[in-house]
Amino acid sequence: MAKVFINKEKNNECLSGMETSPLTISSLTWFQALSPQLQELVSEGLQPFVGEIEEIRLRVKRPVLFRVGTKEMTVTAQKKFTLQLEQGYVITKEDLEKTVQILSQNSLYAWEDEFKNGYLTIPGGHRIGFVGRGVLEQGYLKTLKDLSGINYRIGRQILGCADDVLPYLVKREQIDHTLIISPPQCGKTTLLRDLVRQISTGIPELLFPGVNVGLVDERSEIAGMYQGEPQFQIGLRTDVLDACPKAQGMMMLIRSMSPGVIATDEIGKNEDVEALYHALQAGVKVITTVHGSSFEEIKARPNLQALINWRFFEKIIVLSRRKGVGTLEMILDGKNLEKLR
Amino acid sequence: MSMFKLLGAFCIVAGCSYLGLRIASIYRKRTELFRFLQNGLTLLETEINYTSTPLPLALERVGQKMHKDCQPLFIRAATVLQEKKGVTAAEAWAAGVRALGGEVPLTKEETELLYVFGHGLGGSAKEEQVKNIALTRKQLSLVEKVAEEEQVKNQKLWQYLGFSLGAVIVLILI
Repeated sequence: MAKVFINKEKNNECLSGMETSPLTISSLTWFQALSPQLQELVSEGLQPFVGEIEEIRLRVKRPVLFRVGTKEMTVTAQKKFTLQLEQGYVITKEDLEKTVQILSQNSLYAWEDEFKNGYLTIPGGHRIGFVGRGVLEQGYLKTLKDLSGINYRIGRQILGCADDVLPYLVKREQIDHTLIISPPQCGKTTLLRDLVRQISTGIPELLFPGVNVGLVDERSEIAGMYQGEPQFQIGLRTDVLDACPKAQGMMMLIRSMSPGVIATDEIGKNEDVEALYHALQAGVKVITTVHGSSFEEIKARPNLQALINWRFFEKIIVLSRRKGVGTLEMILDGKNLEKLR
Repeated sequence: MSMFKLLGAFCIVAGCSYLGLRIASIYRKRTELFRFLQNGLTLLETEINYTSTPLPLALERVGQKMHKDCQPLFIRAATVLQEKKGVTAAEAWAAGVRALGGEVPLTKEETELLYVFGHGLGGSAKEEQVKNIALTRKQLSLVEKVAEEEQVKNQKLWQYLGFSLGAVIVLILI
């Protein structure tokens, strides 16, 4: 029953053939955000995997790790690829400093908020996370110093990955309130992004004309905003409220942009639930995601329990990684909890 | 023959006067430069503090607004930052200072002052950036005063000295 929506063919098609070509490694935006030393390691040691790297982890005094699918691999100091992770090139403090310098364009002052939040978005919509020692001011985190770890999460856009799901969500000119349940790294943001794009632009096959979509992108992950420009295709009628708290953002969008659909990532707080209620009052449809591995798990969470019991969501989609990223486990009807597929 | 002599004498006087004027103008240029630099730093402060513009773009924008005499500093630093991977802000700024030194003569202390400013550039929070800029601006205003005094003292002197030197050479040769 389960189907993998992010399969190899689609993947390549959407990477426009360029990302996998070793000749154009240097044109990849995440590659440009690596220090020269690491660029060499990647371009010489990991060439065959360059198009498929999902994560790069730099941890001080430990080997650099690359995640490709579910596998982790590394590159030795001699620029040789290996699966023996201990033999990998060991990251030094200087490597991290150089990396931060490049990421911040030598301008730490310009990314103060980002450092406080622990991540920043680079051109291409990729997200870079940091850990280090917190600097507090009156009990609140002011910034991070002595960075000890950096994580590159390489975002991919897979156009058309929502094709299998959309027929279940679109009823004539209406979209259902939808909840996507998925463990981390199973493609929930990728699916949400494509849903937003198609719903916003319109879906001729389903005779759906397209509606205004308000996107509250608290962690700049869905649209990948960089200096005010979306780095991913998010549709013709999508307004993005970038780096705004979800609940506040949803209310703002309802008032300011009169969207037909609001999309947001990872709800869970009490105020989020309240904001969903307001959206319902305003007649706005909501598409959102939540971390979790099954519907049963979500039902057990106090905040979400109320939403489920209230039958707020009309469709519930569960993703997993069973047959690769983005395996579509099931789609439930939120009203009677019947399995639709 | 006397025609040639006259022409030669004219050339010597004109040449020496020109040289004198050039040297005199350097004094004026230096005073202006330090004034412009202070303006430049104020613009840079705005870019950093209010619009959080990253350095490469901030320096370029400031450079475009500046007088052509101190443009090389900002434009060169911006270009180095944009083009060279892994270069630090201090290195890029130093390259800018060297480019500036090629246009207008700077003393060792003045160059040092600008280098020190570069070391604090970019690598800290806004507050610190603003402090660094304010401190450097203050020092530049002192340097400007010294340069102005030198200008008052030497500008006229060189303007006349050039002409007089030319005249003396002509008299000796005749």
